[in-house]
Amino acid sequence: MMDAGRHPNIEVLTNSELTHLDGRAGSFRATVRKNPRYVSEELCTGCGLCIDDCPVIVPNEFEVGMGARKAIYSPFPQAVPNTHIIDREHCLNDDFLVCNNCLNVCDRNAINFDDPGEEIRLDVGAVIVATGFDVYNASAIPSYGYGLYHNVLTNMELERLLNATGPTRGHIVRPSDHKVPRKIAFVQCVGSRGEGREAGCQYCSRFCCMNAIKDCLLVKQHESDIEELMVFYIDVRAAGKGFEEFYQRSLGMPELKYVRGRPSKIIEDPQTRDLIISVENGETGEVSKVRADLVVLSTGAVAAASNRDLAEVLGINLDENSFFEVEPRYGSPLHTAREGIYVCGCAAGPNDISDSVAQGSGAAAEAEVFTAKLPAEEEPLVKEELDISGPPRVGVFLCHCGINIAGVLDIEELKEVAKNIPDVVYVEDNLFLCSDEGQRLVQEKIVEHRLNRVVAAACTPRTHEPIFRESCDQVGLNPYLFEMVNIRDQCSWVHTKVPKIATKKARDLIGMGVARARHLQPLYRKTIPVNQSVLVIGGGVAGMCAALELEAQGMKVYLLEKEGRLGGILNNLTRVYPANLSAFELARTMVEKIKASRVEAMASTEVNSITGFVGNFDVSTTNGNFRVGAVVVATGAHIYKPQGEFGYGRFENVITNQELENILHESKDGIHVNGKTPGTVLFIQCVGSRDTEKDTGCSRFCCPTTIKQAIRLRENGVNVVVLHRDVRTVGAKAEEHYRHARELGVKFIRYTPERLPHVSGRDQRAEQVEIRELALHQTLEIDVDYVVLAAGMVPNEQSTAKLHDILKVPLGADGFFMERHAKLGPVESTTEGVFLAGCVSGPKDIADSIAQGAAAAAKVASLISHDTVALEPTTCVVDQTLCRACGRCVEICDYHAPSLVEVAPGLKAAQINQALCKGCGTCASWCPTGAIAAMHFTDEQIDSMMEALLAG
Amino acid sequence: MARKNPSSKKKAAKEGFVPNIVAFACNWCSYAGADTAGTNRVQYSPNFRIIRTMCSGRVTPGFVLKAFKLGADGVLVSGCHFGDCHYIFGNYRAVEQFDKTKALVKTLGLDERRVRLEWISAAEGTRWGEIIDEFVAEITSLGPSPLNHKPKSKK
Repeated sequence: MMDAGRHPNIEVLTNSELTHLDGRAGSFRATVRKNPRYVSEELCTGCGLCIDDCPVIVPNEFEVGMGARKAIYSPFPQAVPNTHIIDREHCLNDDFLVCNNCLNVCDRNAINFDDPGEEIRLDVGAVIVATGFDVYNASAIPSYGYGLYHNVLTNMELERLLNATGPTRGHIVRPSDHKVPRKIAFVQCVGSRGEGREAGCQYCSRFCCMNAIKDCLLVKQHESDIEELMVFYIDVRAAGKGFEEFYQRSLGMPELKYVRGRPSKIIEDPQTRDLIISVENGETGEVSKVRADLVVLSTGAVAAASNRDLAEVLGINLDENSFFEVEPRYGSPLHTAREGIYVCGCAAGPNDISDSVAQGSGAAAEAEVFTAKLPAEEEPLVKEELDISGPPRVGVFLCHCGINIAGVLDIEELKEVAKNIPDVVYVEDNLFLCSDEGQRLVQEKIVEHRLNRVVAAACTPRTHEPIFRESCDQVGLNPYLFEMVNIRDQCSWVHTKVPKIATKKARDLIGMGVARARHLQPLYRKTIPVNQSVLVIGGGVAGMCAALELEAQGMKVYLLEKEGRLGGILNNLTRVYPANLSAFELARTMVEKIKASRVEAMASTEVNSITGFVGNFDVSTTNGNFRVGAVVVATGAHIYKPQGEFGYGRFENVITNQELENILHESKDGIHVNGKTPGTVLFIQCVGSRDTEKDTGCSRFCCPTTIKQAIRLRENGVNVVVLHRDVRTVGAKAEEHYRHARELGVKFIRYTPERLPHVSGRDQRAEQVEIRELALHQTLEIDVDYVVLAAGMVPNEQSTAKLHDILKVPLGADGFFMERHAKLGPVESTTEGVFLAGCVSGPKDIADSIAQGAAAAAKVASLISHDTVALEPTTCVVDQTLCRACGRCVEICDYHAPSLVEVAPGLKAAQINQALCKGCGTCASWCPTGAIAAMHFTDEQIDSMMEALLAG
Repeated sequence: MARKNPSSKKKAAKEGFVPNIVAFACNWCSYAGADTAGTNRVQYSPNFRIIRTMCSGRVTPGFVLKAFKLGADGVLVSGCHFGDCHYIFGNYRAVEQFDKTKALVKTLGLDERRVRLEWISAAEGTRWGEIIDEFVAEITSLGPSPLNHKPKSKK
């Protein structure tokens, strides 16, 4: 959030809405209504004095009504911009008696009750809709008693209770008596997967299963007294990378019990306020009443109420659930029917975080095609550098931050102390040092007093260091000669009631800051040239999508495919769910686009080696050598080949989903195998997936694939039975297809890994499948003509192992490539300049792979669309005269920045590649000879702080 | 100079002992968590001083020993929770370093409770305050470090 707020190319318009849009892709004209916030974004520093003085207390929406806020407030602690807003509905100034407290207390005159708001016009090339979702209103299901019974909460409310900054500071308590509950019940699918009278929505909300599992683990962590956690569910849908493993881990928790069954009603015991849940156990068929101290309803996602108006303004359609409709033609989840308008995240339907992030980046890539090339970021004025030679001349600047600091700490005392610290030649204080006036003061004094080190004692470097550094830079003082001392967030705000002790602490902190400043060294950002071409490895759907997006942005793209033709797994499919697109058509369209483009597609080509670093990779292939600035790895995965499970290989009529896909592909009218329509086809799910021994997770695509095939078979008069562990139809429209399949008469029977179905037959034909039906307590014997195994996805071991060696991207326990961050960096790898797209990082379906292809393209573009990339100088540096080449640094660095090189004949020493080093300093702490210095956090700098504090 | 500490135990007030504690906090999680404590105005013991490093993996046993040599009574090292590290596995390295630190601290004859390793995320402002309070109380009850040669000479 803060990154977006600070980015030079991003203007954040909050409290605003789009009211009109005309024009077309590439040249839209948008009208935006900026609603008044009554507090000036330019003047407000977010100091919070007005909040303290506001007399009005209203429920806090961010705390789902469980906490309070004032009428002037920040929506939540880390809100961007850090500007308050006045809720005029509750503000007293609209009453007969005018309060004006906030107006009077604000030193910056930031408050304006006459703020009319603003209407602005923008010329934009493309529009991305990322408006998210609303939470289902649980009181719409009266039989669960939400809003009626005290101790029935929603998952959103529990999230706030679990939060350390929430209304209970992270304690789980029952609203009725504020006691820690002993027994908590989670009810899944509240408002999702609806049936009957209290239906809610028909689709699956996708994230609630994982959310409940995570909350169970957290609840137990927060309150060790909890004795029992129950989850009432229909299917546990742990369908995402690492999700199944997480679910399996939760099964090991003795307190946690999963009960398959959807409660019919919940009633409250009026004496104890405990809750009694009526539920039929789907596994035993037993109907029971279960008592719980607290019930958490896992409410799903519904379309945002604002979607209807926004869709009208944008001229696009909503689907039957009022989410934004995706144009199915492209097979991509990002396109709407109107060119230049893209949708991502929950605006188009429920999504989890990593998919939303990938879609966000993907939508950016699509939008970039229509946006004019941005002007390069302003060339920084090259200032003549100040002469910093000679002993340190430190200037100390103290910020009052209104009364945030000065109201607690004794600024005069701090000034006196600072003046007496060795090498301090100038001390000054200011009401708001971060204001333009404050920054000008710092700049003037640097020049006037020939300061060569600057210390600001103010708020936190995490937010304000960049501002000061820039000011230093503007007058020619190297920005790394600036040091910030945190006397607000970590001092005056947290020791408010002990001003004298807090002042003593601030004295120490300033002393430490000055000591460190004396040891600071100027550092220079090195820029390295960037080669503006890209290597995409893998010509499947993700790779092709990435290549096309990058080419559309004018980059030179090399697309490598190991096989003889492009298309990957798409070549083996018939129809692609959810829109039932022809896989052949989709592949053909993409391949033709590639052929018509300037993408250099190389079939039957493999990578030999890749050397170099971000911006400059030298690639050697079986088809020539070239240099690129970035690499996208999209080598996909394999479909698991069953190893004799369920008679595969022994019986000729036991086949996989993929083999069935070929049969379906060849059947034109009806389904014929050897001229006959099969009588019964039985599917067995999770073959090669969800195997805890083999570390395989859920492959995610097999449930919808089976259902897609089952529908096709059923429509042609075939009897279909599906044996499953959980039906995991989490993708767009997948739950609706599942419902449709059941309506058509496809039978779904659950099995557990403890009692696997048994396939028996004679000669080479399977004839019968035996399955224990749990609820009926009966073993069923089903005569079959075909058994179809839903084989999951496994890593393409050969290619991942090879690329792992070449690119140094780590592999996870499941054998797939690891992303930079499971949630926030789904298409980035830990190696800078190397990106991941599609199944190479875990099983995905076509739509998700397309989104990831586009997302990787966006990430590549933001990296290499500039001619150069600036390297942060706060990296580690080796003094090779001290190095004895032990190689510890090489072993421990996860970024492969250090390497041993020959510095003289027969003499080796470590060397750190600045382009790869992230500056964590871990190698410096491990180096046994002290040869490695972590720049800006050197041993001397840290030692000097301790000396100032302890020896002073 | 006020010697009373708002949240430490009565014993401390009685003895008038105010511990010197150095807290190493990683830039991305723990230092940010301490900032969050500020944003939320969590009130906790002031008897510690933070030194910011980019990663908890940066904290060498040498820093901790130096702190004790200079007269610290306790040292806290804090980083990101496992899986949250900005540098992927830096906090795992911190654990390895910390094990060595602990062994060295024991060798010096110091109580191993004087060093502590904690994981505090950017969101856990309250937890930051609680851990500091807890640690300050513990060090206060342990009394001055035997290596602290001049406990009374502080300004």
